[in-house]
Amino acid sequence: MNIRLLRAAAPVFAIPGATLVSVLAVGLFATAVVAQDLNTGVGTLDRNSAEKVFPAKPLYSPYAGRKFPTRPFFGDTHLHTAASFDAGAFGARLGAREAYRFARGEEVMASSGQPATLSRPLDFLVVADHSDQMGFFPDLFAGKPELLADPTGKKWYDLIKSGKGAEAALDIIQSFSAGTIPKDLIYAPDTRAYKAAWQDNIAAAEQYNEPGRFTALIGYEWTSNTGGNNLHRNVIFRDNGDRASQVVPFTTLAPLGSDNPRELWKWMAAYEQKTGGSVLAIAHNGNLSNGLMFPIIESFTGKPVDKEYVDQRAKWERLYEATQTKGDGETHPFLSPNDEFANFERWDFGNLDGSVKKTKDMLEFEYARSALKNGLKLEKQLGTNPYKFGMVGSTDAHTGLAAVESDNFFGKTTPQEPSPERMTATFFDNPKTGVKVMDWQVSASGYAAVWAVENTRESLWDAMQRKETYATTGPRMVVRFFGGWDFDQADAQTRSPAMTGYGKGVPMGGSLSGAPAGKMPTFLVAALRDPIGANLDRIQIVKGWLDAKGDAQEQVYEVVWGGDRKPGADGKLPAVGNSVNVENAIWTNTIGAPELIAVWKDPKFDASQHAFYYARVIEIPTPRWTAYDAKRFGTKPLPGTPMIITHRAYTSPIWYTPGT
Amino acid sequence: MRVKKLLREPLIHFLLLGAALFAVSGTLVKGTGSEPGKITVSQARIEHLATGFALTWLRAPTAEELEGLVRNYIREEIYYREAMAMGLDRDDTIIRRRLQQKLELVFQNMADLTQATDEELRVFLQDHPEKFRLERRFTFRQVFLSPEHHRESLAGDAADVLRQLKQTGESSDGSTPGDPSLLENQFADVEADEVAKQFGEKFASALNDLPLGEWQGPLESTYGVHLVFVDERAQRRTPTLEEVRDAVRREWSNARQLESTQKFYDGLLKRYTVIIEPAPPNTGDAKTSTAR
Repeated sequence: MNIRLLRAAAPVFAIPGATLVSVLAVGLFATAVVAQDLNTGVGTLDRNSAEKVFPAKPLYSPYAGRKFPTRPFFGDTHLHTAASFDAGAFGARLGAREAYRFARGEEVMASSGQPATLSRPLDFLVVADHSDQMGFFPDLFAGKPELLADPTGKKWYDLIKSGKGAEAALDIIQSFSAGTIPKDLIYAPDTRAYKAAWQDNIAAAEQYNEPGRFTALIGYEWTSNTGGNNLHRNVIFRDNGDRASQVVPFTTLAPLGSDNPRELWKWMAAYEQKTGGSVLAIAHNGNLSNGLMFPIIESFTGKPVDKEYVDQRAKWERLYEATQTKGDGETHPFLSPNDEFANFERWDFGNLDGSVKKTKDMLEFEYARSALKNGLKLEKQLGTNPYKFGMVGSTDAHTGLAAVESDNFFGKTTPQEPSPERMTATFFDNPKTGVKVMDWQVSASGYAAVWAVENTRESLWDAMQRKETYATTGPRMVVRFFGGWDFDQADAQTRSPAMTGYGKGVPMGGSLSGAPAGKMPTFLVAALRDPIGANLDRIQIVKGWLDAKGDAQEQVYEVVWGGDRKPGADGKLPAVGNSVNVENAIWTNTIGAPELIAVWKDPKFDASQHAFYYARVIEIPTPRWTAYDAKRFGTKPLPGTPMIITHRAYTSPIWYTPGT
Repeated sequence: MRVKKLLREPLIHFLLLGAALFAVSGTLVKGTGSEPGKITVSQARIEHLATGFALTWLRAPTAEELEGLVRNYIREEIYYREAMAMGLDRDDTIIRRRLQQKLELVFQNMADLTQATDEELRVFLQDHPEKFRLERRFTFRQVFLSPEHHRESLAGDAADVLRQLKQTGESSDGSTPGDPSLLENQFADVEADEVAKQFGEKFASALNDLPLGEWQGPLESTYGVHLVFVDERAQRRTPTLEEVRDAVRREWSNARQLESTQKFYDGLLKRYTVIIEPAPPNTGDAKTSTAR
């Protein structure tokens, strides 16, 4: 891309005081040549159809014709490295390359100076450093012709080429100090090429991306945080570096950037249009937005969200990060008082910097379940559901380490890497508002599970785009969820639930509409515990719907569970029990079940009412990371520190829309 | 004034260069800075701002947008100068760490320009075969029996199903007998690691020893027992350079990078005399004696 501007006229700004007299004319820009061919049509939206092709009858070759995803790929869509200025300020030393190595299963030295390895490799990783502060740095060797023309430059260049980079660098620095650097080689922003840290992140992703084995997706975080209210989004590219490097990330500060997500969506549209690439966005931590994440009334205008808002949001924000280190975002006990699993790794103190305390009226606009409900209302009003998102979990770790296994948790920030102090230390404290968060409140969560056909950028991104994903708070359990009109009990006995599921219904993230007369939606749901993890307690289906008055309702149904338990008159299932020995930080798989599968029908279905359904899989209780710390460091936990956790997974919903 | 003295120190000068770049996304030197009370926004600077905009939006800024960028630049420049004059950059952990990062990044970018020769890569592969070894790969089918469903009769039932499978032999794709499971019943050309990810380590290593071309078992996994038919098995081997060139290049540069980063720092360190003051003798408690 070649941008030539302002060559024609040379306006000089004389600025007495604060007055700026611009003599620029729009015409000056008319000849600017920007970017490549327009819309090639590659990045269009609904790609979900191709995945469901089945042979009408079995082929001879057992391996032919299987085009559906056969196992979920686990990864992190949200990891910060030292390139994020806050991570660097906290002392993170690991960059993108170390982050990829760690995710691929290699041992790396954590910033705190202790070795770290995952229990087993992840399948993919997005290094999503903050877009702001990804500053420019001089690309010393971008101007190669001039450099080589100068004898000193030539000497350095040759040294570097022959692998003596350290020698060259020292020599360069020496020349700077001594003031002997050749005049032509002094770099100045006016004349020299500059490289953003972004380019370096892309280069790292290109190096570590190995299609079929490990995927390094390119991405960044847009960190809108005005007033301390978290409106952050991670932007994920489907594309390789050739397209992604044509842009720089959208930032939050005017005039170049904006803190308003509408502007981010415009940036995304421009990227797709100009490069033919594809991007999607994943919002996170509504719980720290103080009521702004899933608005009915837009905070930027004070007006109800309009048609454009709902259309654009639905188009770009395909997923929501429903669980991470700064708290779980599925639902809140205040919003779901009848859900005994709602009070989970709760962070409801205030906004991101603790500058404003939380009030109960904010909660409805912060959590995934209430947003899914409000989305139904908005769809009825405006014709589009802005909150029709799929679910993922991710870490948001600022350490370069996607390490959220409970027995192998490397914290959210570098000071929270394993140490005897972290169980009792303070994370942040705002005495003015009284918002105080302790390090033990940081949650060892979560990962994204993606039902992609293969482990490549394109395939993973396409699965994210069609929302065939689920969130896990850490364990790598396998979860299938299909909805259709014709699942029956026999389908729960089939040898290959996936084959049946895709054959008769839509997978998680899909939609059903126009119920056939007399039919109700049926669901095939199954879960397999993490091969090295804990048994499963139960699978539930969470239903949300609009009742006859147009009010949003929710209900949690018990669908299938381990052991011989009977639900009570209120439909509640007795607790699975507890095999955790906190003192030794161990548990046994003597309760629960390794695998659960069932077909469920909605007993209260009304074909005229908008609804959504998602599955929630609950693990048996296991030691929380704090229990491992207490055992390994011999630290005494502060009063109130939870030592046991019930990990879980949330699938993307399947939506039902009345009419055809 | 100490700040002024500091500004004359050449290395600091070099570092400040970085600071400036960080603080204002690429302000500097030519056309600005030198004359107090005067800011000249050069054409090159304007072009630089416009390029930044174009890289973000993939179009040129309008006149109004460019004017906004220039206004913003001026504001930033003024604050930058005033802040530097007050020495606000000093003793700021964020700025210090950021500058360290920037210098490292500039250096690493230089080092990245080094290209390995084929010979160097070949030697690296020879010296580190363990990094590049191609895993065992399996093509197999499996039938799962759940301990929950069979309880005490699990062993007998497994033997029955195995007999049945041996009769159908090769033609059974593993889809008929057995219990429902989210584990697929056929796997084509998968790595041992991938098998371990889904079935556990124990099952994956047991798969190594099975004879090919017949139904075998039961094998234990983390979930229950499995009857298995291994169609093909590719042994673990060291690849040729052609098969893994990208990976070898990556590992080679990584090793080179670590080595030269250390050399770079050692070289810088050599240019300094470092004096660490000892703790005063009378107050030798833990807090003050930590300096080494």
